[in-house]
Amino acid sequence: MSESRQSEFVHRTLGDRIYQIVVIVMLLLAMSLMIIPFWNVVAVAFSTPLGSMESGVILWPRGFSLNGFQIIWKNLGLERAFLNSVIVTFFGTIAHVFLACLAGYVLIQKDLPGRRLLVGFILATMAIPGELIIIPLFVVYKNLGLLNSLFALILSGMVSGFSILLMRNFFMGVPFDLAESARIDGASDFRIFRSIYLPLAKAGIATIALFEMVGRWNMFLPVILYINDSSKYTLQVVLRSLVTENQGNSGTSMITPNVQMAGILIAVIPLLTLYPIMQRYFVKGISLGAVKE
Amino acid sequence: MNLGMSGNMRRYAWLYVMILPIIVYLGLFVYYPLVQGVISSFQETKLLGATSWVGTENYRTAIDTPQFWQVVRNTLLIGGGIILLGFFPPIMVALALNEVMNIAFKKIAQTTVYIPHLFSWVVIAGMWMYILAPSGGLVNEFIKSVGGEPIRFFTSIGWARSLMIGLPIWRDMGYYAIIYLAAITSISPSLYEAARVDGASRFQQTWQITLPMLKPTMLVVFMLNTLGMLRIFDQIFIMRNPVSKRYVDVLMTYVYDLGITQGKIGLASAISVMVLGATLVMTAIVWTVTGFGKEE
Repeated sequence: MSESRQSEFVHRTLGDRIYQIVVIVMLLLAMSLMIIPFWNVVAVAFSTPLGSMESGVILWPRGFSLNGFQIIWKNLGLERAFLNSVIVTFFGTIAHVFLACLAGYVLIQKDLPGRRLLVGFILATMAIPGELIIIPLFVVYKNLGLLNSLFALILSGMVSGFSILLMRNFFMGVPFDLAESARIDGASDFRIFRSIYLPLAKAGIATIALFEMVGRWNMFLPVILYINDSSKYTLQVVLRSLVTENQGNSGTSMITPNVQMAGILIAVIPLLTLYPIMQRYFVKGISLGAVKE
Repeated sequence: MNLGMSGNMRRYAWLYVMILPIIVYLGLFVYYPLVQGVISSFQETKLLGATSWVGTENYRTAIDTPQFWQVVRNTLLIGGGIILLGFFPPIMVALALNEVMNIAFKKIAQTTVYIPHLFSWVVIAGMWMYILAPSGGLVNEFIKSVGGEPIRFFTSIGWARSLMIGLPIWRDMGYYAIIYLAAITSISPSLYEAARVDGASRFQQTWQITLPMLKPTMLVVFMLNTLGMLRIFDQIFIMRNPVSKRYVDVLMTYVYDLGITQGKIGLASAISVMVLGATLVMTAIVWTVTGFGKEE
């Protein structure tokens, strides 16, 4: 290993060095494409209202102020929306992960009559994009009296074939003998599931939970579909009306840029704090995401 | 197995109970709406929810509406643009990340390019609408400072559509780059060793070994993007405006406008069914080509 590393260095020619420089310049360009817009948001968010409205490029807060955060949080009602998003994300993720684990466990029972049918029933739903059934789905929610409730948002996307498939694959990695000997000792399936499978599939659970949390926090279509009552709006929907309206056409928005950018920061901070944990489950999560998108 | 027949039965009963919530959920919130959608596409919904059969009229109405073809065109242009223009940037980023020797820099670069993928479309729209704003926006302030005329990006017909292509590419570049990077990491080092013995430069190794070995991943990413094309909704719905609407509306925003805003359930359902048909055909192709779902 160290030998091959060494030979790599010995063999570096002038061409290789130029290539290395080109590569780093390219990466720095790609990074600045991500950092500059975000940095602009941060700088404006911490500016004073007047400072944020002055013309010119803002890459440093103009007259440091937390005014934007105070206004959007208290006066414009983002606090309530934020709380709604937390509720939907928290309970929705727990229910989603729990159901995916249950189903994943049942689907690995090789001797269960009708198992193939169940697998087919669940996997086939993966071919049906949720966006395509929004209209009849809206009618179903309406008939069940679920409109205008946070429960509707928790229910939306609560079961997903992708998560079930992923959990099933994780559970298949748990030695079957372990469950078999517990069963001979008289343990029930639910007990085996809870005390053997769940602890051994922690990585899988974490992966689904993290990606589900991000998805739920960013949830948009179900909210505009099922919620009319503004006190039940989630963060994304409230933020949308504050940041996108008026902007495309003119600068006549009544809301100053520092308030808008503060709202954006509030919406991304929970995700950014989640990121370091997510990174640990990257590869698995990415492959989940890859089939999910 | 030591369990008797009755023991097995009891065990199966429990397992069925465990999976029952999933079956009920999928039946109620996926299969039933799916069937209902197909039925609605052959019906006309009157006031107070009364329905009558109209045969294929909704389908014919959809096909005869110029706006339908306009949104099909927009969907293909925007989706196709994302697929084609967004294809190489993540590969280049992944190859570049792979060349970086400094672990710390590699981590920072990887994180930085991935982060936008976590952002919602509301956040991305808010961010870019501000940066591209005619007055006070970073880009137009720069244009003005070098003596140019500010551009109204989101209400200019040419720019509005380009942004709908460019912003998803910006958002997902790092995400796909990491998928590629994972594939690069799994390429056998012995291949590079052999090339090195033959005196190949780093660039030649990349060109002759890494790129060809990435073909299967490229195929998967291409297929995923192709399937995703018909589902584009959030970004358009959030960033469109009365001026750009005609040029950026896609199938799903059209279905939403018809079905939810205008209450034309039959027409919206007919379009959904057509898109669903296209999706199923494409999914079948994708699953066959990528071998997904084979393990059962």
